[in-house]
Amino acid sequence: MAEYLQVGRPAPRVEGPAKVTGQTVYADDIQLSHMLHAKVLRSPLAHARIKRIDTSRAQALEGVEAVVTAADLPPVAREDESPGAMPSNRAEILLAADEVVFAGQPVAAVLASDPSVAEEALDLIEVEYEELPAVLDPLEAMKEDAPPARGPVSDIDRSETQAHAAVDVEEERAQTASNVASQMRLTRGDVEQGFAEADVVVERTWRTPMVHQAYIEPHISLADYHPATGTLTVWTGTQGQFFVRDELSKLFRIPETKVRVVGTELGGGFGGKVLLTQPLAAALAIVAKRPVKLVMSRSEDLTAGNPAPSCVVQLKTGMKRDGALTALQGRIIYESGAFPGSPIVIGALLLGGYYRFPHLDIQALDVMTNKVPQGAYRAPGVPQVTFAIENHMDMMARELGLDPLEVRLQNAVQEGDPMANERPYPRIGFKQCLEAIGENDIWRSRGKVREAQGKRRGVGLAAGGWLSGRQPASAIVKLNEDGTFGVVTGSNDITGTNTTFAQIAAEELRQPLETVSILTADTATAPFAGITGGSKAVYTVGRAVKAAAEDARGQLLAIAAQLLEVSPDDLELACGQVQVKGTPDWSVPLKGIARASTDFGGRYPPVVGRGTISAHKHHPGFSVQVAEVEVDPETGKVTVLRWATAQDVGFAINPLSIAGQMEGATAQGLGMGLFEEMLFDDQGRLLNPSLLDCHIPTAADVPPIETIILEVPSEEGPYGARGVGEPPVVAGSAVIANAIYDALGARVSEVPITPERILRALGKVRE
Amino acid sequence: MSSVTIRLRVNGRSYEVQTEPQRTLLEVVREDLRLTGAKEGCGTGECGACSMIVNGRLITSCLMLAPEADGADIITIEGLAQDGRLHPLQQAFIDHGAVQCGFCIPAMILAGKALLDANPHPTEAEIRRAIAGTLCRCTGYAKIVEAIAAVTEAP
Amino acid sequence: MRRFDYYAPGSLSEALSILQERGDGGRLLAGGTDLLVQMREAGLHPSYVVSLRRLPELRGIEFDEGAGLRIGACADMAAIEAHPSVRQRYRALFEGASLIGSVQTRNMATIGGNICNAAPSADSAPPLMVLGAVAEVAGPGGRREIALEDLFTGPGTTALGPNDILMALRLPVPPPHTGSVYQRHTPRQEMDIAVVGVGVALTLQPDGEAIQGARIGLGAVAPTPIRARKAEDALAGQRPSEELVARAAELAVAASRPISDVRGSAAFRRELVRVMTRRCLGIALERARTS
Repeated sequence: MAEYLQVGRPAPRVEGPAKVTGQTVYADDIQLSHMLHAKVLRSPLAHARIKRIDTSRAQALEGVEAVVTAADLPPVAREDESPGAMPSNRAEILLAADEVVFAGQPVAAVLASDPSVAEEALDLIEVEYEELPAVLDPLEAMKEDAPPARGPVSDIDRSETQAHAAVDVEEERAQTASNVASQMRLTRGDVEQGFAEADVVVERTWRTPMVHQAYIEPHISLADYHPATGTLTVWTGTQGQFFVRDELSKLFRIPETKVRVVGTELGGGFGGKVLLTQPLAAALAIVAKRPVKLVMSRSEDLTAGNPAPSCVVQLKTGMKRDGALTALQGRIIYESGAFPGSPIVIGALLLGGYYRFPHLDIQALDVMTNKVPQGAYRAPGVPQVTFAIENHMDMMARELGLDPLEVRLQNAVQEGDPMANERPYPRIGFKQCLEAIGENDIWRSRGKVREAQGKRRGVGLAAGGWLSGRQPASAIVKLNEDGTFGVVTGSNDITGTNTTFAQIAAEELRQPLETVSILTADTATAPFAGITGGSKAVYTVGRAVKAAAEDARGQLLAIAAQLLEVSPDDLELACGQVQVKGTPDWSVPLKGIARASTDFGGRYPPVVGRGTISAHKHHPGFSVQVAEVEVDPETGKVTVLRWATAQDVGFAINPLSIAGQMEGATAQGLGMGLFEEMLFDDQGRLLNPSLLDCHIPTAADVPPIETIILEVPSEEGPYGARGVGEPPVVAGSAVIANAIYDALGARVSEVPITPERILRALGKVRE
Repeated sequence: MSSVTIRLRVNGRSYEVQTEPQRTLLEVVREDLRLTGAKEGCGTGECGACSMIVNGRLITSCLMLAPEADGADIITIEGLAQDGRLHPLQQAFIDHGAVQCGFCIPAMILAGKALLDANPHPTEAEIRRAIAGTLCRCTGYAKIVEAIAAVTEAP
Repeated sequence: MRRFDYYAPGSLSEALSILQERGDGGRLLAGGTDLLVQMREAGLHPSYVVSLRRLPELRGIEFDEGAGLRIGACADMAAIEAHPSVRQRYRALFEGASLIGSVQTRNMATIGGNICNAAPSADSAPPLMVLGAVAEVAGPGGRREIALEDLFTGPGTTALGPNDILMALRLPVPPPHTGSVYQRHTPRQEMDIAVVGVGVALTLQPDGEAIQGARIGLGAVAPTPIRARKAEDALAGQRPSEELVARAAELAVAASRPISDVRGSAAFRRELVRVMTRRCLGIALERARTS
């Protein structure tokens, strides 16, 4: 095992001091002089034609700078320019022009320097709608005679989905006007034969609702456009500043040399904070010729953000008496809302991707309805399908009298086994995670305490996984004049990746962590990096940082070799200097190399390390979890007592921040299992647009979480690291379901498993 | 009637502010005093990100109209470090890895301070209850609770 | 938020005359934890707001063995929760106050605001009702008193006129051998609005055997907080037993008229009334015995 100086050690966040003193700047903390506030008027109807908009009274309100409708905005470029076509890309409709397709869709905007005035003006805008039939249920929407939720889809823009998980499976786009935007199918063998061979067959329908990422910082953009230079600048909390720049450049036909996106420190993202407010803010800035700040209030963000899609999984699985799986047949129906783009491929791959099935047949569909369009939420598409398969594994095991952990171990995929698209798995640590949970006290003590003070207890486990994304990345490591280093990437930090990058650079340069600064520069000043998402930041950008540090090291050794008149092969880096191997006194300080390569008349070129990489290999990550719950059988209220999360991280570059990722994701999974769902009325309006009624877990709802870090090295990641952000969110719903079943003997096939659903499953509430 | 004049004492400094009455204490502190550590996460008192200590009590400043704070003595996160030295809670949050995106952190630290000022040796359950009104979506609360508990155990 | 005129009167009479002069369209401001939320998210846009924070008559919590407990309308939940007499003698109120929102909410929310906001789920309402609270109201015609049950007229509405100000709540000294309790069901451990709230105050006869009387207050199961009077009648004078308690719980269910909404269906709420009334009666009984 290699001896490392920096990586593999817990390192506190480099930006910790700024954050604990309130000095960190988030998008809303920025104020520009002459700034206007934008308030948005949103459609109250789920599906309607706009017949007339009268903004005259709003414009007349003193203090209103402008009232803007679609007609007033600069025209945006569309992928499909044919007349009457409705874009598939939500970003192409800044303000609805003729048709609104979800309640909450922006229809008009007011600009004023006083936000109170802007708000009052919204009331004065008159919009006449002609209501159209709204499609609100995906199963209904799929029917042949269902009314269309919206205009037919043009080419589906999956660029953002791809950023989360690069998968290469063919999708079938809809040929005729249909609410089914696309679908795909994976088959293997003959499932009928497989079911015939099974000794137990379980068939059930599983439902997961729309859930919101509930990042604590809502979506915000501040845009500024200078007509004289044609330059657009946007400050925004985003996980993907280059993606945003690219979109803005395309939409407004401005070359990327004149679009600058400054990704501010992000107050949470979880996949849902890539592109939302930036296009409208930019358009308003172009119209106003003044900086425009567009803030989504919490209720606006909950109503009109980009939440995880609801999903129906119709699943049938078969197992033999000896525990071997025989067949899986599944249909996954994602509700994409008013714009297509559900992660159907990832969902299908994971549904059939945990266990070895000789026969499988998986269909996945992307179905549009008149609801807020879906977006990515940590392992997009996967918690939904995992809820289904992980319940089935428990059900089949129990029916056959087998141990739920043993049947998983028996069937779990390992290196070389085919994924659902027949590609072989690389080296993975799924079995190791299962074994770790098998050893865990929560699992081992199951059944010992069944009841306590009138409440029932149960223990449940479940597996979760994520294939992980890959994307090219680049980074720079430069030597400062005083011998310290600066690392520059264009990667927006949402999870502590910057600290990890600093550790990597410090490791390769053999310097103390404090001598390495790390900066996320903006799109004008940073080298390219992809969206921070898909669990690929450390895997790709980290590799680029490592390569840049290695490059810088090579340059340092080359200059030192000349200064010391030795061969570079005889040299090594040490704290603050380059020295002849093993001979600290025969050295040149880094400061000296810096001066020689920057001073006026200096003889050597500056040390600027450059790292650019492309990633070719998947690095799937798995996380297996177990929890103990206590249920009040008369009220259905659930208390989570204990939770352990095991995860294969490949190599833990920063165990402290990895544990933090595991704990945070576990809490989100717990929330999905017990509390969270977006509820709509029969008019397609959100009934609970508040954090209160979305029931985000509080500190009193989440138990202490035991984190078990396993390391099965990935093939391509830095030091063998894998992506870590997403796998640990996946299993939560199934863990809860299995634990509640253990406690009560009742299985609920819909999350969140609320007290009411528990009492109904127990037969205590019937009507 | 438009503007009102209010006097605030924030982190030991006195301010006189002119504001329209519909603005909240949160907006005045963030925009007029330029102390942006307190955040708006919801505007309805449900996330706690705007928390401040006003007259010795932890409150959600998004629900306090600015004129209601006239004459108040207020502590925000910017007032915790003394002479460049971090408050033990601030240091503990860093050391225990309790800081991720950081958006809830000023409020969490103030919630911890309000708790410890009233109850220097809380149980874990009391810590969780004391911060239940401040939501965190990143950490699962695990290391936040550890950090606060660590400060209670220190001499 | 939108603009409005703001007043911070220094005396009750000043406050009353502002209301008289300005007339409709105004709102009284205490803690702000309901009012500001409604102004932000529920389309409430008063043309003027009258702050009550400077009025001395609305402050304070006093208890004495003669007059009982007097809580100023602007007393906040944290102060109520912390008051030793509340915790010792008016346990249901202590429990109700301690369950509202979060630490931050309790430091701001006032009992007057909770009552006048008149949500059917208000956590202070069942406790106040079962403990016999009376509201002291000041208006253009002078002072008057209203029993709490008569104060609530519908979801979000009270018997108070637009020119009235709730001054205080007065609770009598509980008779000896009285126990009270308040419980509520919420999905999360903290923070939520009650799906169902149950308050019980039960007094045993001097010999400690039979029930002298009981009051049962239910929240979030009707357009207003209500008393389950038939259930109360069934308990009066009876010796406690499992069957008696079960019967009273059924009568409490019958008194409920819950709706189905985002927090739960009517059927679920009725089941909770059954379970929680039974449990609360048991706890109140236990507390009455040991009081």
